[in-house]
Amino acid sequence: MSERLWASPAPDGSDLRAEMRRAAQSLAAPAHDQRARAVTSDLSVDESLLLHSIGWEAVELVFGSSLVSIPPGVWSWGSGEIGAASEAHNLAVRSAAAHLGDQCSAVHGHGVVGVRVEVEVQRHHVDVELTGTAVRPVKGKEPNRVFVSDLSARDFTLLHNAGWGPIGLAFGASFVYAPRRSVGTTMRQSSQNVELTNFTEAMYSAREAGMEHMQRSALDMGAQGIVAVRVAEGPMWFAHHAIGFTAWGTAVRLEAESHQYLHPHVVLPLDDVSVEFEAQSLR
Amino acid sequence: MDAAGRPDDEVSPAPGEAGGAGADGDLPEAAGRRLGGGSFSSGLTVPDFAACLQMGLRPVGLVQGFCVMQWGWYGAGSPYLRGMTPYSFGGSAPRGVYSESYRCPHGGFAYSNEHRIWGQNYQQPWVESAWGQGFGSAYTRLVEEAQEVGAHGVIGVVDSTRHLADMNVTEFHILGTAVVVEGGGPPPGGTPWTTYLAGQRLAKLVEAGYMPVSVVAALASVRVWAYCVTEILMEGTLTAWGGSGYMPVAEVEQLSRAHMAARSLAREHVRGQLGNDNLQGAQIVANTQRLSQGDEVIECTLRGTRVRRFKDFDPLPAPRPTVRLS
Repeated sequence: MSERLWASPAPDGSDLRAEMRRAAQSLAAPAHDQRARAVTSDLSVDESLLLHSIGWEAVELVFGSSLVSIPPGVWSWGSGEIGAASEAHNLAVRSAAAHLGDQCSAVHGHGVVGVRVEVEVQRHHVDVELTGTAVRPVKGKEPNRVFVSDLSARDFTLLHNAGWGPIGLAFGASFVYAPRRSVGTTMRQSSQNVELTNFTEAMYSAREAGMEHMQRSALDMGAQGIVAVRVAEGPMWFAHHAIGFTAWGTAVRLEAESHQYLHPHVVLPLDDVSVEFEAQSLR
Repeated sequence: MDAAGRPDDEVSPAPGEAGGAGADGDLPEAAGRRLGGGSFSSGLTVPDFAACLQMGLRPVGLVQGFCVMQWGWYGAGSPYLRGMTPYSFGGSAPRGVYSESYRCPHGGFAYSNEHRIWGQNYQQPWVESAWGQGFGSAYTRLVEEAQEVGAHGVIGVVDSTRHLADMNVTEFHILGTAVVVEGGGPPPGGTPWTTYLAGQRLAKLVEAGYMPVSVVAALASVRVWAYCVTEILMEGTLTAWGGSGYMPVAEVEQLSRAHMAARSLAREHVRGQLGNDNLQGAQIVANTQRLSQGDEVIECTLRGTRVRRFKDFDPLPAPRPTVRLS
């Protein structure tokens, strides 16, 4: 390959090229700060830069795991909420979040951002795995309490600039029975287009109770609201007559005196939103 | 794993044990023919390719390394050797190896041969070192190919493992694009630097004041040999003795601690490869193999790019929020 192919100067990239050469040469020297503790993080470069723009930095990759047992027999037929399953779920989340917070405190972090939430509900146990990056202000004192948030570092930065702060992970779960129809009702409805009120009521009940649990956990933390709520729902593979509903989000509180308006600039991208013509269409 | 004992300022990466074919300069003949073929090859996307040219990185070849490992002996505590612990019953593991023991709280009451009066969580260093050998050998071969084409670094590294031919055979595969820094000298020690990043993400990393040193990866393996309480809670047995009774919602402490330990061990293994440098873009993957009666094998893989700060952070302007009109 001709060297001339690569020799053309890059009009705007000269500084970056010099920086790259400087960076590569720096590998001959030992680490910048020999006394510093290595930082581990699952943040992207963009997220690290955004955190730095508000005076925060990543500290450590942290984990929280909890497995909680569900007593036998709770999935058998009944009516109303399956209290033991909901309780097990909420205990597993609380315990995993506490483990995550402990790891964060151990490295002098102020909170954990970008928490990845993995929940698995089985017949006899609930497994919760939380993974995130502990962060702290570059110049900050030890916090009274660390926060756990599933917001990305980008959303955390936006929230921070708006004067709000995360308090913790608000979680709520509810499992309810979808009661059987009577034989007579089943027979009568077999050739009708009708609402299955037993399922409607079960779904309604599970959703409302799950969200109520979530709001209760946020209030218990002293939060004013919850942002970025996500939900997961559906029957469990091992108990088709039971409906599970899970809701979670980041509990937030106003930390500035009032909400800070960001006054975003309006931009009009000039790139085509849709491609009108593709060469493959000629085939 | 060799990475744990390396000096902090050593640039040579090798995130695992090196050895076997390729480590001694015996690349396959086809690799030599391909790399000397006269044209460059690259695994970069077109945007990443353009961004690298902008940074003064010239692609010189797609480089790769492989290693096929057989898992002939999974060690004491495998499903085939249930009931055997590598560490003494009730005793502790060697220094630096994670191990916790659990004893039956039922006070010797109603024991049977099947009642598990003792359990243990323990790290499996023989599994971890075998994984490190597979990954490290593949990585060393990738670096060797990069040296063959005179590269200064390898960008856009991708690694994968897959079962091959038989359930006990695993292939480690690592590939990336070898590059030369235009106007730059050879890397210290002649060993190219490596990174999972490429394109604009790599450019932003350098502009932020970090230089990639090497990819780092480690596996942690923890075996759970459940004791009676864990077995009861995980299997849904009504009571400790099989009768009826109320069992409350309770945390399965042995398993919670094992899952935490596997992840923490993976982090510490990687930390051992970092020296005073940082880990950027960590990716953690945990797999749990549930055996029976509460027994588990938890394997956790952590990978990322070891980066070194070469200049102080420049103060960044506050990002300007925008709203798209379209």
